[in-house]
Amino acid sequence: MKSLIKPTRRAVLAGTAAVLTTPYLNRAWAADPVEINMLAWYGHGEPDMVEEFEAMHNVKFNSKYYAGGDNMLALIAQSPPGTYDVILSDGEFVQQLNAAGYIEEMDADDYDFDDFFPEFQNFPGHWKGDELWSVMVRYGLLGVSFNTDVVSHKEAMSYGVLWDEKLKGKVGHFDWHLPSLGQISLYNGNDDPSPFDIDEAAWEKLQETTMSLRPQVGGFFDYGGTFSNLKNGDMHAMCGIGDWITGVLRKDGAPVDSVIPEEGGIQWTESYSIGKGTDKGEIIRDFIQYMLSPKGQVRSIQMAAYPGLSPTKSGWIAIQQENHAEAVRSGLIGGVDNSPIKMIQEGRIHFRDIPQQQDLEDWNDFWSEYKNA
Amino acid sequence: MSGNSSLYKYTWRLPLLIWQAAFFVVPLIFLVVMSFWLVKNYRMQPDFVLKNWDKMFSRGYFWDAYWLTLGRAALASVIVSLIAFPASFALAFKVSDTSRRWAIFFLIIPFFTSYLVRVYAWQVILAEQGVINALFGTMGIGPVTMLNSGFGAMIGYLTLTLPLVVILQTFSLAAVDRNLIEAAWNLGCGRARTILSVIVPSAKIGLILGAVFCFILSFGDFVAPYYLGGSKPPTLSILIIDTTKSGQQWPRAAVVAICMIVTLFTVAFAAIALAYGKPRK
Amino acid sequence: MRAALLLYVGAVFVFVFAPIVASVVFSFNSDRFPSIPLGSFTLNWYETAFADDSPIWEAFRNSLIVSVCAATLSTLIGFATAYTDYRYGFRFKAGYIALALLPPTVPLIILALAMLAWLSQLGLSGTLTGIVVAHTVLGAPFAMAVTRLRLSQMDPSLEAAAWNLGASEWGAMRHVVLPFCLPAIISAFCLTAAVSFDEFAVAWFVSGLNKTVPVAILEILQGNVDPQINAIGTVVFLTSMALVTVAQLLLMAKGRKA
Repeated sequence: MKSLIKPTRRAVLAGTAAVLTTPYLNRAWAADPVEINMLAWYGHGEPDMVEEFEAMHNVKFNSKYYAGGDNMLALIAQSPPGTYDVILSDGEFVQQLNAAGYIEEMDADDYDFDDFFPEFQNFPGHWKGDELWSVMVRYGLLGVSFNTDVVSHKEAMSYGVLWDEKLKGKVGHFDWHLPSLGQISLYNGNDDPSPFDIDEAAWEKLQETTMSLRPQVGGFFDYGGTFSNLKNGDMHAMCGIGDWITGVLRKDGAPVDSVIPEEGGIQWTESYSIGKGTDKGEIIRDFIQYMLSPKGQVRSIQMAAYPGLSPTKSGWIAIQQENHAEAVRSGLIGGVDNSPIKMIQEGRIHFRDIPQQQDLEDWNDFWSEYKNA
Repeated sequence: MSGNSSLYKYTWRLPLLIWQAAFFVVPLIFLVVMSFWLVKNYRMQPDFVLKNWDKMFSRGYFWDAYWLTLGRAALASVIVSLIAFPASFALAFKVSDTSRRWAIFFLIIPFFTSYLVRVYAWQVILAEQGVINALFGTMGIGPVTMLNSGFGAMIGYLTLTLPLVVILQTFSLAAVDRNLIEAAWNLGCGRARTILSVIVPSAKIGLILGAVFCFILSFGDFVAPYYLGGSKPPTLSILIIDTTKSGQQWPRAAVVAICMIVTLFTVAFAAIALAYGKPRK
Repeated sequence: MRAALLLYVGAVFVFVFAPIVASVVFSFNSDRFPSIPLGSFTLNWYETAFADDSPIWEAFRNSLIVSVCAATLSTLIGFATAYTDYRYGFRFKAGYIALALLPPTVPLIILALAMLAWLSQLGLSGTLTGIVVAHTVLGAPFAMAVTRLRLSQMDPSLEAAAWNLGASEWGAMRHVVLPFCLPAIISAFCLTAAVSFDEFAVAWFVSGLNKTVPVAILEILQGNVDPQINAIGTVVFLTSMALVTVAQLLLMAKGRKA
């Protein structure tokens, strides 16, 4: 008995150790590139965005992903200062970052603002007077997102379709208050000056209208859940999103689409800032320049996680040459109907912003109440 | 021997005290302390205000979430216990000892798989265009909505707790004195009566323990209601996450957490009193 | 009747294992949102998840470090507590044992929040050390239970015999108690390592850039909803099973010897 057990046990231990460690040893622990810590929306640190830059400059991006500006601020507040070297922020949250002392001032001469469309050269929120705090890299539009088998494009031209009887229990929300409430605010007609700049009476009405949508709602979803529920057909319409979700799903062949309805659409804007206290400011500057270059813009437009639009004229030209179909689809061609610049000029697009006359906390609080109703 | 006895004794006695005190008791006490702090501009400041308690308690949605979570967890513990019982009964009385050991071994396996991965698999299986609806489709039944509902969340709770409950129930049922059962048979009790009057009371401790663990786990879980229940409506655990991850309102999250702990301890103590209480007669 | 009950047991097992089996099957399936009929066989998800520069390797490294450290600490504390319970009676012992067994009764999310807040104060938030600390709190009760079980199988006169033969308490510990408890100690180590490896709630709250595997899975679930999850899950499952099987074999083998 003894001789049977002992070698067996040793053999088992040795064998297990070998099996467990092999995959870990096989991997080449490569020579150390410079590590850059990034805080961003999902997908910005993935190979399809950064691999070329990583190879060129021998750096490696470590990313922490968030969903929503409130989430970003919370994450940064709970990490030791100086954790993040580069921060991708929504435009409207940049001054919040600044006020809390999380980002460094940037030098406008480092970046080619002449290549920007005039609408974006002095983007609100990125500048504080003459100081530059964040550089715009990409943007996108939010409108009505729907399943094309269930809702027609014509019906989708108004946010009112979300209240349609046939969508009962099939309307989903992206689980963040700002875009959803902004869209319903537009539905209520708050387009001057902005759906986010509303007085007390309008805020009361906004809450009322939103509550009236509750019986239609099938669920509140994070980034991943939004994808899967639209794809799986569990939800037939989504509030608070736009092409950034449906664009990816369309690539997978799902029958979904987004349109900018008559009441208007909302623009989300992403920009890079330099984290306070970082010693990698120069590399980050190079990275931002790379992202603004035609090569970087093409990657950004076709980002695997979710597509974005380009703020630079050279970016538009580059994508027209590189992937004409995508340029047509996104309207990145001068003068076409769905060109974002044209829509901005027509006044159909409103930049997303933090609430002006209420606190962010008020809107967030109402969101919790809404979810619980 | 008595010379170094104290050193010896305390070497073994102290590690737990020090570690648990520093990293278990203190954080929980800190949670209470923190619930009186203030948050300004996404940063916390030590203070002593009742504002957080006031705000949370006055919010309709807090109480809605509270009763909902309580109700769901209670329902889960009842449903899971009932579903587990026939299986545990079979494993305790109807199979050989070896088979039972193998069954328990297999039931331990899920503990070493990721709960997250299993929930994700259920998401795929239960989706409108998922596996089960595809099967229904071949049988001519229209797509059944299973996700983003109480049903979905319940499947999640089952996934989380069923193995544990079955194991606990089986252990306690298997330990029931066979003589008692024989005596009941000899006295002419039918099967059902034997189960209800003899077996269940004897196995009381294990059955209640299983239900309590199920309650605790379901009460605190956020994965099932979020990923299978569509956050609709949100439970207390989801409320904690929302408050922490989006609002940076740790003090308010602490208020929710403390209410949860108090509730849990109350339920646990009541259950244990029930379990170990003197039998009636 | 017996047949019906056994069928029921079978159904329960099917329910418990359905998601696990589905996950393994889907990890080899080409469809991103699998359904019936299945797509084609592919190793794509494994390749993506375990590509050379995939962050999963970093996560695995972190998970390994955390679980080994947490398991070591848990086992040490668990053994100390079990031995104290076995050997000594003292005032407040009931409270002492309650303290030891309390952690599993507190929902993970609450523990996670408390840990996050407290560790932030200590400056340990966002570090692997923080996760190790939290996981030790979670694992110690399990280690204690396993070791205590083994100790209860030990003949109490063994230790006394050693003392009578002139051994000091330390000597007796080294030559009698520890060897006897070795299988339980190794078992406890593997068990707490496995618990730590799979734990996600506390790790998610406490970790920052240093992710463990479960946190990486959670982030993919929240982000891309990729079948990569299945690939990672399957590998994690195999690793955990390996640990558990080793523990079981050792326990069984030594058990037979003693």
